[in-house]
Amino acid sequence: MNVSLRRAAYALLGAFLVLAVSVTYVQAINAPEYRDDPRNPRVVAWRTGRERGPIVTSDRVVVAESRPSPNDPTLFQRAYPFDGLYAHTVGYTSVLFGSRGLERTHASELTSNRDSTISGVLNGILGGDTRPRGLRLTIDHRLQQVATDALGQQRGAVIALDPKTGAVLALVSYPSFDPNSLIGLDAAQAGADLENDPDQPLRNRVSDETYAPGSVFKIVTTAAGLDTGLVSPSSEFPDPVELELPGSSSTIKNFDGEVCRAGTQVSLEYAFVHSCNTTFAQLGMKLGGEELARHANQFGFNKLVPFDLETLVSFFPDDGSLNDNLPATAQSAIGQLDVQTTPLLVALSGAAVANGGEMMVPYLVYDIFTSDGTVESSTVPMVWRRAMSPATASVLSGLMEQAVVSGTGKKAAVPGVRIAGKTGTAQVTGKAPHAWFVGFGPVEPEPDEQSIVVAVVVESGGDFGESATGGSVAAPIAQKVLATFFE
Amino acid sequence: MTRTAETGLIIAAAILAAVGVGIVEFTKDNWLNAQVVVTFGVFVIAFGGIQIAVRRWASGASSLLLPTVAFLTAIGFIEIYRLDGHLAAIQRWSMLIAAAAGVGLLWLLRNTGVGVLRRYRYVLLAVGVLFLMLPLLPDGWPLHGAVVNGSRLWVRIDVPGLDRVLSFQPGEIGKVLVTIFLASYLAERSEAMATIDRKIGPFKLPEPRHLFPVLVAAGIAFVILIYQRDLGASLLLFGLFIGMLYIATGRSFYLVTGALAAVAGGAAAYSTFSHVQRRIDAWLDPFGHFSDAGYQSVQALFAMGSGSLTGSGIGLGRPDLIPAAETDFIFAAIAEEMGLAGSLAVIAAFALLVAAGFGIAIRSRDLFRKYLAGGLTIVLALQAIIILGGVLRVMPVTGITLPFMSYGGSSLLANTAIIALLLRISDEERA
Repeated sequence: MNVSLRRAAYALLGAFLVLAVSVTYVQAINAPEYRDDPRNPRVVAWRTGRERGPIVTSDRVVVAESRPSPNDPTLFQRAYPFDGLYAHTVGYTSVLFGSRGLERTHASELTSNRDSTISGVLNGILGGDTRPRGLRLTIDHRLQQVATDALGQQRGAVIALDPKTGAVLALVSYPSFDPNSLIGLDAAQAGADLENDPDQPLRNRVSDETYAPGSVFKIVTTAAGLDTGLVSPSSEFPDPVELELPGSSSTIKNFDGEVCRAGTQVSLEYAFVHSCNTTFAQLGMKLGGEELARHANQFGFNKLVPFDLETLVSFFPDDGSLNDNLPATAQSAIGQLDVQTTPLLVALSGAAVANGGEMMVPYLVYDIFTSDGTVESSTVPMVWRRAMSPATASVLSGLMEQAVVSGTGKKAAVPGVRIAGKTGTAQVTGKAPHAWFVGFGPVEPEPDEQSIVVAVVVESGGDFGESATGGSVAAPIAQKVLATFFE
Repeated sequence: MTRTAETGLIIAAAILAAVGVGIVEFTKDNWLNAQVVVTFGVFVIAFGGIQIAVRRWASGASSLLLPTVAFLTAIGFIEIYRLDGHLAAIQRWSMLIAAAAGVGLLWLLRNTGVGVLRRYRYVLLAVGVLFLMLPLLPDGWPLHGAVVNGSRLWVRIDVPGLDRVLSFQPGEIGKVLVTIFLASYLAERSEAMATIDRKIGPFKLPEPRHLFPVLVAAGIAFVILIYQRDLGASLLLFGLFIGMLYIATGRSFYLVTGALAAVAGGAAAYSTFSHVQRRIDAWLDPFGHFSDAGYQSVQALFAMGSGSLTGSGIGLGRPDLIPAAETDFIFAAIAEEMGLAGSLAVIAAFALLVAAGFGIAIRSRDLFRKYLAGGLTIVLALQAIIILGGVLRVMPVTGITLPFMSYGGSSLLANTAIIALLLRISDEERA
């Protein structure tokens, strides 16, 4: 009798031992995994319930602020007054979906230092300012609005920045989303809908998406030709209807399937202004895959752009695969085949031309201010890399100005301002082409004159579909932003 | 342990509960208030009352049980208070009522001893089974069953002219009554059941009719599982039947057939009932069923993981995010706010209680008392193991209360009755 009682006792006490071991496993060994799971609302709830600093544009329009929560007066609720207008820059903080955008990358400044950590408590005791800081963006509210309206309901992206400093003046990605919807009562459903949307509204198409650049890549190819001293704008190239690629049966044609100029010889300048593929394919083959890749890398391809938002690396084949492969080199030289770039890097390449060949680090936060409005720190513009020599930049600038004056970029012209630009119409298999434009102004600005560079991509031709070109679809969008800037 | 030490530990538990309530108030920026005093008073009255009854009518009783129970009740109460002050106020009344019932039980049995219960065993069985089945009463009757969280284990009384609905879980009391019956039945039959053997090859098998109790156990457990959708109660009753049969006969045959029946029943339930299937699937992969069946389990893991070693501190975590934190999942809430330190203390206290209970059973000379003490201890132990195992993902989640810690009057009443009976039995061995 007592034998079976003892056995039963040992069995049940053994079960408690198993429970003790498993609770130790859950709370000691596996604890960090559970604690930091993005679906664990604790950390985010604590973060979102506290006051966060405001985010304002460069012209001090409030685009994110903490308001007292309607449910609990001791807590705050984040509000985004312009709904989707700044969604991809500012992002959100949500109990259910964590955080994104500047709300994520600048979380430490935007939240109060007053917490239960040792340093937080010490800071509070020693009388340090523990209230959350605010962010002032480089984005201009009016430009942001104009760029958004200009893109309209076409999938794509617009980015404007100051070529001298790298300050981003407008950042638009369509489709967008309303960050307020991820906070309210129906947040779970709204978030699921956004994540499942085939158009990917959550994705920031400016920096977190890559496209074939098409002819906007000719900026890089031209810079490579000029930098190496291989060519000058007056260099003459044969002008065939169709360029046969050595060692293969494929050919490269110009956009309209015609010769570039008269069918005999064409200058590099004329070819650039009219964006002739045949000429740049020849230039690419002349340079060779290795040289082309070296210059693409100087322009920031295969490098991660230092940026406050999620950013993809733009791709140009630099693994030697273009060596001794002239057809691929020719295709790559006109921004086709495997070449992929973010609109951000296209804007930066235009900016480098405008800025004497130097590419600045793009930035979104102008300064960080304390709760009483004093500026605590300002972003100091920094050079990211040198893309080309000053002389090359100056020559390219002239070529790009000609493209707007008399070439493919006419629709980007702004009366009274010297605008330079380059169009692109990137062929995509099975889909309508992507329409590109990158342009800047004024050309050769006075030392204290404000300048701007704008890059636009419209996916799959936008409203124009198959018949879209960079000049017809993307250039007019850039024109509206440029015109507003120079008003 | 002396009675004085016991009194000291009970007062310590009362102070623990009062300090816990004070900390909760403090985290809400309130200074000490009446809640602290009331809580201290209720603990002293409830446990002090039982101890006075023990001194008067069961002076030889074990002094290990009450302080352990007071400790568990205090920890549970702090967490209930932290989650919902309103529920905590009701729980204090439940504590007083349960303590009064415990005192009443000790008084009733003061002269006769627990042996008197044998006389009424069929009445107790009838009432016990009735209680277990009460929730099946159809809706619309003045006394009717009710479904809460998908399980039909509640009974509601609509009192005419009264807005409030009285509701309770009769199954909690039912399981104690059934334990008393089983102890009494087995005290008479166990010898016969243990000695008669048939041999088939190397295997010793009892008479086929001795299989009957196992079948009855499986049958009742299955009825509860099907009609009340209550996995926890069904598992508890089945475990109790098998455990008591094993204790009484010493035959591992019952454990083996019991385990086979449980596996077979579980497999049948898995393939037949979608709610059982969901629970098992959620157990195997809670993160894969995050948005539905696995949600509660995952929230409990998040809570316990966030609590880590020392916990978030009472009132500083988010145990309110765990579904059913005040009742079935109170352990996860405690683990979050009091950390691994707190959760190990709770498990150790339950282990101590179970060890003390088996100690009483082993020391009992009378078979009925022996089986009764063993059975009651098994009920306590299984309840704790089933729900803690569910919360910690050692086994699938089955809704069942954690004795002395979960919010709920019926559970507190039944478990206090178990403690009163154990106290009584331990006293009778000294006498």
